[in-house]
Amino acid sequence: MKVFRSHILVCGGTGCRASGSEGVHQAVVREIAAKELSNEVAVVETGCNGFCAAGPIMVIYPEGTFYQYVKADDVKEIIEEHIVKGRPVQRLMYKEPVTEAPIPHMLDIPFFGKQMLIALKNRGLIDAEKIDEYIARDGYMGAAKALTEMTPDEVIEEVKKSGLRGRGGGGFPTGLKWSFARKSQGDTKYILCNADEGDPGAFMDRSILEADPHAVIEGMIIGGYSIGATKGYIYCRAEYPLAIKRLLLAIEQAKDYGLLGQDILGSGYSLDIEVYQGAGAFVCGEETALMGSIEGKRGMPRPRPPFPAVKGLWDKPSVLNNVETYANIPQIVYKGGSWYSSIGTERSKGTKVFALTGAVNNVGLVEVPMGTPIGDIIFDIGGGITGGKQYKAAQLGGPSGGCIPAAALNTLTDYEEIVKLGAIMGSGGLIVMDEDTCMVDTARFFMEFCQEESCGKCTPCREGTNRMLQILQRICKGEGRDGDIELLEELASIIKDSALCGLGQTAPNPVLSTIRYFRDEYEAHIYDKKCPAAVCSALFKSPCQHACPIEMDVPAYIALIRAGRLEDAYRVMKKTNPFPGVCGRVCPQFCASKCRRGQLDDPMAIAWLKRYITDNGKKPATEPVPVTRKEKVAIIGAGPAGLTAAQDLAKRGYKVTVFEELPYAGGMMRYAIPEYRLPRDVIAEEVKDIEALGVEIKTNCRVGKDISFDALRKDYDIVVLAVGAHNSWKLGVEGEDLKGVWGATEFLREVNLGRDVKIGSQVAIVGGGNSAIDAARTAVRLGAKDVTILYRRERKDMPAWEHEIVAAEHEGVKIEYLVAPVKLVGKGGKLSGVVCQRMKLGEFDRSGRRKPFPIEGSEYTLSADTIIPAISQSADTTFIPEASDIKKDKWGGIEIPSRSKNKTTAESVFIIGDAATGPATVVEAIAMGHQVAADVDASIRVKNNEPAYKEPAEEKIDIPFEVDEEVVETPRAAMPELAAVDRAANFKEVELGYTREIAFKEACRCLRCDAEI
Amino acid sequence: MVITIDGKKCEFAAGQTVYQVAKANGIYIPVLCHHEQIKPVGACRVCVVEVEKARSLVASCAMPAEDGMVVQTNTPRVLSSRKLSVELLMTQGHHKCITCESSGDCVLQDLAYSLGVESPRFEEPAAYRELEQANEMIVRDMNKCVLCGLCVRACNEVQVNQVLDYTGRGPTAAVGPAFGLKYEDSDCVFCGECVRVCPVGALFEKQGRFQGRGDDLQKVRNTCAYCGVGCQLDVNIKDNRIVKITTPREGAPAPNYGSLCIKGRFGHDFVGHADRLTTPLIRVDGELKEATWDEAILYVAEKLNTIKKEHGSDAIAGLSSARCTNEENYLFQKFLRAVIGTNNVDHCARL
Repeated sequence: MKVFRSHILVCGGTGCRASGSEGVHQAVVREIAAKELSNEVAVVETGCNGFCAAGPIMVIYPEGTFYQYVKADDVKEIIEEHIVKGRPVQRLMYKEPVTEAPIPHMLDIPFFGKQMLIALKNRGLIDAEKIDEYIARDGYMGAAKALTEMTPDEVIEEVKKSGLRGRGGGGFPTGLKWSFARKSQGDTKYILCNADEGDPGAFMDRSILEADPHAVIEGMIIGGYSIGATKGYIYCRAEYPLAIKRLLLAIEQAKDYGLLGQDILGSGYSLDIEVYQGAGAFVCGEETALMGSIEGKRGMPRPRPPFPAVKGLWDKPSVLNNVETYANIPQIVYKGGSWYSSIGTERSKGTKVFALTGAVNNVGLVEVPMGTPIGDIIFDIGGGITGGKQYKAAQLGGPSGGCIPAAALNTLTDYEEIVKLGAIMGSGGLIVMDEDTCMVDTARFFMEFCQEESCGKCTPCREGTNRMLQILQRICKGEGRDGDIELLEELASIIKDSALCGLGQTAPNPVLSTIRYFRDEYEAHIYDKKCPAAVCSALFKSPCQHACPIEMDVPAYIALIRAGRLEDAYRVMKKTNPFPGVCGRVCPQFCASKCRRGQLDDPMAIAWLKRYITDNGKKPATEPVPVTRKEKVAIIGAGPAGLTAAQDLAKRGYKVTVFEELPYAGGMMRYAIPEYRLPRDVIAEEVKDIEALGVEIKTNCRVGKDISFDALRKDYDIVVLAVGAHNSWKLGVEGEDLKGVWGATEFLREVNLGRDVKIGSQVAIVGGGNSAIDAARTAVRLGAKDVTILYRRERKDMPAWEHEIVAAEHEGVKIEYLVAPVKLVGKGGKLSGVVCQRMKLGEFDRSGRRKPFPIEGSEYTLSADTIIPAISQSADTTFIPEASDIKKDKWGGIEIPSRSKNKTTAESVFIIGDAATGPATVVEAIAMGHQVAADVDASIRVKNNEPAYKEPAEEKIDIPFEVDEEVVETPRAAMPELAAVDRAANFKEVELGYTREIAFKEACRCLRCDAEI
Repeated sequence: MVITIDGKKCEFAAGQTVYQVAKANGIYIPVLCHHEQIKPVGACRVCVVEVEKARSLVASCAMPAEDGMVVQTNTPRVLSSRKLSVELLMTQGHHKCITCESSGDCVLQDLAYSLGVESPRFEEPAAYRELEQANEMIVRDMNKCVLCGLCVRACNEVQVNQVLDYTGRGPTAAVGPAFGLKYEDSDCVFCGECVRVCPVGALFEKQGRFQGRGDDLQKVRNTCAYCGVGCQLDVNIKDNRIVKITTPREGAPAPNYGSLCIKGRFGHDFVGHADRLTTPLIRVDGELKEATWDEAILYVAEKLNTIKKEHGSDAIAGLSSARCTNEENYLFQKFLRAVIGTNNVDHCARL
C-alpha cells in the first residue's frame, strides 16, 4: 500500500452529504491536485463520522484534527494553512461550549472521547467503497477464523459466550437464536439481515451500512456458516440509496476476493447474499412480515409459533438479525466472546449504538458500553439541551418505546433496566425533548405513526390505535373528557396484551409512559384546557398568553405599543394584572420562554415592553366599587397575592380589609426585592389603585399581636392567608449562632425597612437563586469589599436570571461554583470564616440536574465576617394558635388538603402566595390571588344558594394587526442601564427603561401568533 | 399428548391447534376470522386465551397445542380483551343490522350478543361508503367489513383465483381486488367463495337481497345441475321460488365442500324463467310444436335410423354436454359407438 504523509478524511455520510460534503470533497481533491500534493496527501471520502450536527466534517490525520461545518470555500485555507504550512485552522475547530476554546483533536471532544466503538469501529476512518481499507483494519479476519479454524458449533458457542443480544430491539440472545436454526432440519436455510430501519429518529443502521458495509456482510457470512445457510438476504429500505449502493458494491468486491459466493476462502462453505429493497412499510421491520415481503407478498406478520428458526423464509429455517447485531459479530469471533462480555452489565453485554437526536446540542451517532447512564449520553456526549432549555424527557425506542423523565436519567443502558421504566432499548433511537415539548402531543405523534403503519391485520392494532389516536387528538384540541385517561389506559393495556405482532404490542407504550410520568399534563389539557408547554395551539390564542399564569394578552399590548396607543395598552394590561409596573421589572417571563420569536432569534422582551407602557402611558383611572355584599373578607398580608385577591373581591362587591405587619404594603415585592430593581414608588402607585376600589389596608398591624387571629375570624366571614415566606432557611451547619450570620430575607427586609444596616467587609452569600444575587448586590451597595457567592453546582444550574448574574459580576461580586459551606468558624462569638468544601457533580437528581457530592479532603476556609444563606424561605405561621382547626404540616407550614390549591383544613380560611407554595414569583402570586377571589366568592354563593358570579362585560379595545412583510433576524433590544460605577454605591434603579424608539423597534419583532388567519 | 383447558385434561394429536382441541372437547372459544378450511392467521383476536407462562394473550386458532400446555379460556383478562375487540369491530364501520342480509346469521352479531357489548363507547366513522352493487351477483358493503381477511384467504387458498388481497395500511386498510378495482373490472370469476366465507354482511348475493333471511327461507339441499361434479348446494326457497343458492359456511359436504362456480352459485334464474322450455318441441311445417317425451324420442330415433341407413353410421356425430354426469357421458359414447356405430363422439368440455 502506498504511504502518504497526511490523510484528509471527508465525511460522506448522508447527514454530511445533505449539508454539502460532496462539494467539500471535490474541492479538496481539486486543491490537492492543484498544489501537486496528490502523492503526499490522500483524500478519503468516509462513511458517517457520527457527529452529524457538526457536518460537513473533515478530519486530518496523522494529527487527528477535527474540522466542523466545513464549506467548499474553506478548503483552500485548510490546505494552505494546515497541509502546506502545518498551522491548523482554529476557526473551524470544535469549540468548548462554555469557554469557547477550540478543541483541535477529535478524541478530546467530549462527544467522541466518551464513546467506545465496536459496531462503529470503522466509522469515519475508511473509504466504505474500498474493501482493502476494510481488510487493512482486520476486516474478514473474523470470517476467516470462523470458516477455517472453527466448527459451526464453536462459532455459536463463542457468540453465546459474548452475551450479544439482538440490537434491533427485542434483545433476544443472538447465539441462542442461531443454535435454534442450526438444530432445525433442512437442506435450505437462510441468513437474513434486517436493514429496514424505520423508527423516527433512528439512523444507526444506515450509518453502519454507509460507513462499513463489509462488517455486516462479514457478520452474515459467520452467521450463515454457523447455521448452515447458503443464501442470505439483506432487507434494506429503498429510502437508503447510498447504503444500498455501498452494499451492492461491497458484495461485488467480496465476491471478487473470494470472500462470498462459492467455496469461501477454500473452506467449502458457500454463501450468496442478495439485497432486497423494502418499499417503506414500517411493519416490514417485524421479522415475519419482512420474510413475507421477501417472498413477494404483502408484508404482514404471521403468528408465531412456528418461529423463523423452524419455519421462516419460504417456510425454511431462517435467522434474522439486524445490521448493528451483525456488525458486532466479526470482532466477537476474532477477539473472542469473553472479550465482548467483559464490557457492559450483568445481562446486557458489549456496546450499544444510539442515534441521539432532538433538543440536544450534539446530534449524532454514539456508541457506548452497556451500563452507561442515559443522562451521561445526553449531557456529556450530547452536550446537554439546546438553548439552555430544561430537559423534559427522552423517547427511547421510537414509537414502540417510552420516555425517560428527568428523574430517571441515572438509569443504565441495560435491556432490563430500561424496560422497568416502561421504555424499551429498541434499536436505540434517543429523541431528546426539552421543556417546550408537550408530552400529550408527543404521544399523539407516535400514536399517529403507529396507527398509520399498522398493517391492518389484527383488530387491536388497527382499530385500537385508531381509537387511541382519536382520543389523543381530541385532548390536544381541548375536547378531552373526564375518563379519557382511563380509557386510554384500558385500550393501551388490552392492545399490548392482545395484538398479533410487536408493532401492535408496543404501539401503546408512548401513551402509557407519558401518562405514567406526565399525567399532570394530560389533566391540564383535559380539565384546565391548558397545554403547559404551549404546543397544542387549538388551546390558545398565542403561546405567550397561554404560558402566562394570569394569561396577559401579550400580543395585544405589544401591538398597541406599535400603534402608539399606550393608554389602551395600559388598559389591556390592567384587565388581568394589577401590578404591570412591578411585573415589567421583576417578572420571570414564563411567556418569553414560549415566545415563537425565540425559535428564530431571541424571544420578545415582553416584560421590558410592559414596563415601557407603565413608564410612559397614562394610567387608567380607578373608580371606587360600592360594597354590595354583606360578607366581609380579611386578608392577612399585603403582598401581590393578597392585594390581587383584595382587588378582585372588592370588584365583586365585598368589603375587604388587608392586615399588614410591616409599614408599607407590597409584601415580598417591597421587602425582599431591592430598590435598585424595583423602585418603591412603582409599587406604591399600583397599591393606590387597589385602595381606590375601596379596599382598606391596615399596615403596622400584625395578626397575632395587634389583633388576635381568632378575633379576626369572628369579625370576618372569610380569612385569606397571604403572609408570604419571610423566614430564611438555615444552612444546618455548625456555627450558625455566630454574629454575622443573616438570613437573606431578614437581611433584605432590614435594608428595605430603611434601617441602618452594618454589613461586614467580607461577605459570603450561599445559594444560586435571585435572592442570593439580590443579597450580594445589596451587600455591595452597603459597602462590602469582598462579596462572594458560594454555589454548590455549576453556573448553568443557577436558578437566578442570567442578566442578574452578569450585573452582579459587573458590580464586583465573585461567584464560586461547586462549593458548599460545611462549618462556620468565629472568634469571640463573631463570624471569622466559612469552611467550604469543594463539590463534584455526580448522578442526576429528580429535577434532571446533576447532584453535587462533596470531595473528601477538599475543605478550605474562606475568610468572611458576614454570611448570608439564601437557600430558601418559609412562611411564619406562629400567629396561628396551636389549638386551631387550621392544621399544619410536618414542616410547620399550613396543610393544604390534596386536590386543592388554596384551601386550608378550615372551611372559611384560604391560603395563597408564597405561604402556600414556598418561594415563587409575583405573577404566580397574582394568579393565586385571582383564583382565591373566585373561589371565595363561589364558596359564599354556594352556601347562600345564589347563582354563580357573572363577569361584567369586558371593555372592548380594538387591537390593530400590523406585521412586517418580511421577518428579518433581529436580536432583542438591549435594556439601557446605569454603568456599574454609577450604581455600585447606591440604590438607584439600574435598568433605565426603553425609549420610544427602542420600544417601537422591539414591538415590531412580535410575530403576532394570536392572529387568526 | 395432553393439554389442560379450563382445568380439563384434553388429549390431542400433533398439529392440532388449541382452538381445535377445545372444540373437540366441547369447550367454547369464539372465533371470527377462523374457518375450518382456511389456514389460521390469528387476525381478529377474538379467540384469544391465556396460556400459562406466555407473555401476552394467545390466539387459540393459530396456536399449536403443546404437550403440558395450560390454557384458560374464560378469565376476566381474556373476556375484557375479547369484548374490546368486538366493541372496536362494531364501531369501525356501520353495521346496520336492521336491514342487513346477514342479520340472524352473523358472527359479529352473535359475538356482540354473547359478550353483552350493549353500547359501544366509540363513535362510528362519519363517512359512509357507497355500496358496490353494479354487477348482478355480488354486493360489497364495505361499511360492514371487519377485515377478518377470510375473503382474501378463500380467494387465494381455496379457489386460488388470487384476485383479492389487502390494500392500504392502518385506518385505510381494506380488502378487495388490486388497484381498488371493482369485482367486475378485475380478474374475479364470481365463484362467490368470498361471499360464502364472509362472517358478516359485507359480501352477499345480490339476487337474494331483501328477499328474506334466516327462517324466512327454506333451504333445500340439492345437487348442482350444471355439470358432472355433483356439487352440493342449498337452494333457498321462498313461496316456491328460488331466491338464492348458498352453501354452508362450514361443515359443507363432499365433493365441493361448500365451493361453487359462478354458474352453480348464481346461475339459477333460468329455473323460474318465462322462456324456459318445459316440454320437448318438434318443428312441424316450420313451426315448433309442443310434444310429449315419447313423441320427441321416437322422432329423434326415426331420424337417426334414416340417416344411418341412407348415409352410413359415420354421417352421425355426437357431442355431449358438460351438464351430464360421468355415467351419462359414458352411456352416450357407448350409444354412439355400439348402437349408431361411429366413433364420431366428443364432449363440449374439450372444445
